[in-house]
Amino acid sequence: MKATLIAAAALAFGALPWLTDSNYILGIAVSAAIYTVAAAALNLIYGYTGLLSFAQLGFWGIGGYASALTVMTFGGTFWQGLVWAGLINAALALVIGYPTLRTGRHAFVIVTLTFALLVTLIARDWVDLTRGPLGIPGLPAPSLFGFEFRTTSRFYWIAWAYAVLALAFLYALCTSRIGRTLVAIKQNEPLVRAQGISPMPYKLAAFAVSAAITGIAGGIFAFHLKIIDPLFLDFYYMQTFLIMVIIGGAGSFWGVVIAGVALSALPELLRFSSDFRMIIYGFVLLIAMLVMPGGLAGWFGQRRLARMRAALQ
Amino acid sequence: MGRREMSVDPIYLVQLTLNGITLGLLYALIAVGLALIFGVMQIINFAHGELLMVGAFAMSFALPAMGLLYWPAMAAAIVAAMICGLVIYETLLARLRPEEFERSILITLGLSIIVLHVVQYLFSANPRLVDTQYGFDGVQIGSIRITWTRVIGALAAVGAFALLYVLLKHTQFGRAMRAIAQNREAALMVGIRPRVVARNAVVLATGLCGLAGAALAPIQLVTPGMGQFLIFKAFALVIIGGLGNIPGAIVAAIGLGLIENWIGGFLEIAWQEGAVFVLMIVVLFLRPNGLFTRGAMRVG
Repeated sequence: MKATLIAAAALAFGALPWLTDSNYILGIAVSAAIYTVAAAALNLIYGYTGLLSFAQLGFWGIGGYASALTVMTFGGTFWQGLVWAGLINAALALVIGYPTLRTGRHAFVIVTLTFALLVTLIARDWVDLTRGPLGIPGLPAPSLFGFEFRTTSRFYWIAWAYAVLALAFLYALCTSRIGRTLVAIKQNEPLVRAQGISPMPYKLAAFAVSAAITGIAGGIFAFHLKIIDPLFLDFYYMQTFLIMVIIGGAGSFWGVVIAGVALSALPELLRFSSDFRMIIYGFVLLIAMLVMPGGLAGWFGQRRLARMRAALQ
Repeated sequence: MGRREMSVDPIYLVQLTLNGITLGLLYALIAVGLALIFGVMQIINFAHGELLMVGAFAMSFALPAMGLLYWPAMAAAIVAAMICGLVIYETLLARLRPEEFERSILITLGLSIIVLHVVQYLFSANPRLVDTQYGFDGVQIGSIRITWTRVIGALAAVGAFALLYVLLKHTQFGRAMRAIAQNREAALMVGIRPRVVARNAVVLATGLCGLAGAALAPIQLVTPGMGQFLIFKAFALVIIGGLGNIPGAIVAAIGLGLIENWIGGFLEIAWQEGAVFVLMIVVLFLRPNGLFTRGAMRVG
């Protein structure tokens, strides 16, 4: 039942280009697919493993720059660019993750935060490579076996296919034995050690997978925008991913996916000025953390528990 | 960019060193506030950079109102930041328990977004130039020149650290703070109220932050985003110095100020900005708990 429902939803999203010609709606749909994947990747490291990573913003930016530079500077294809985006990010995640994860959660949060800022500064200041604030405009449309993804409705296929693949992979990972081990590490690390499982490889792997998926998402999104500049590393993206995870419910796979799709569409429909939108995001984050730290999924879960308790009496 | 020749000119080096120390002292004011809050509450205040920005904006408004007099305007900025700190503690931070580290970050992150964009909305993102009674005059020793605002900013920071040392070491107020940081249960048993102590720590830390903002305002341009870049560095400094370790944070901050200025004098700007991150990763590799960690919060 659940599997049919999910497959139907995925196919319905895939059919979107036949339902509408509006580039505006399809543009939002591309963002929704990409943001949802990035939020689900953040959910893997924060929601499941319990490690709050701000480095996602850095991975997102590095992914964007890696794929753009592969095409524009090194003469590769879009697809090779995505492979590099994934590989570079996974390697970086291992290099940062190993020294940081030895120290505990506090240091991890702060180091990942500083990493995100560092990537922004490098994008702005390493002018020889990234062309600094001017950015790299005119990213060409990707093509596959002679088929060019020139229009937004064709590009949407790439975003959709990636979202389906990445979410399926993350779902398989999160519901497997590995996913349960990650949750156990989050809940009680000493107990996991006592069971004879070393948490470090699990944490590192979760961080690297999350980095690679976020990086490829960034690479696709850069080609959707057709330009990459330091604004690609605006803290706005990190806040968007975080709010999706927190509203959806950290540690709830479908909660975050639904929140990702819903929250991508919402700000577009409401059409605020950017300052105003950020103020609202700030309030949403603040209030969600104060009132329902478990997100919507946590809130529904608690209600279900309360009903079950009431039924027992 | 004009390339300076690599042969080291001693006067240039001294100039870089002096600039590095003044900058480092101002970094230290921010990092010490974070270390103090972490020591007492085990949380991180993400909105600390915005409090610095509030201090700098208060300075920029108070100066013209007070006839460009430096010290009264600085006092006004510190009081403004402390009031903000008190409000933040009472409305948000007081609800957090010590083990809720991630929650503290996300709540104060939300606050920081709100403050930053409200200020940007009200006063625009254009940088403001702040003029004081000292203008851009400076002391001249040989061919080395430092503006008065830098000298006074550094002296104010040193004075604040001296005051903080006396406060933490020799008053009941400070002893209670150290007691909570060292052993929460034992402190409770001898009748110390964690809530009051935490509030004092937050207000003290935001006062230091207001001082840093006020001192920075005439040195660099005041923008709504000025706190963001500084806070990232301050976070890294707190890690390098050892979480919750105040002298560690000061040493790390001055060290970073020096390294950044030396690197900035000779290499591309990207290296200067990257220095703090490389330093942090190296320190974490060699000493996972920070350079100077010796248990709970220390003052000397």
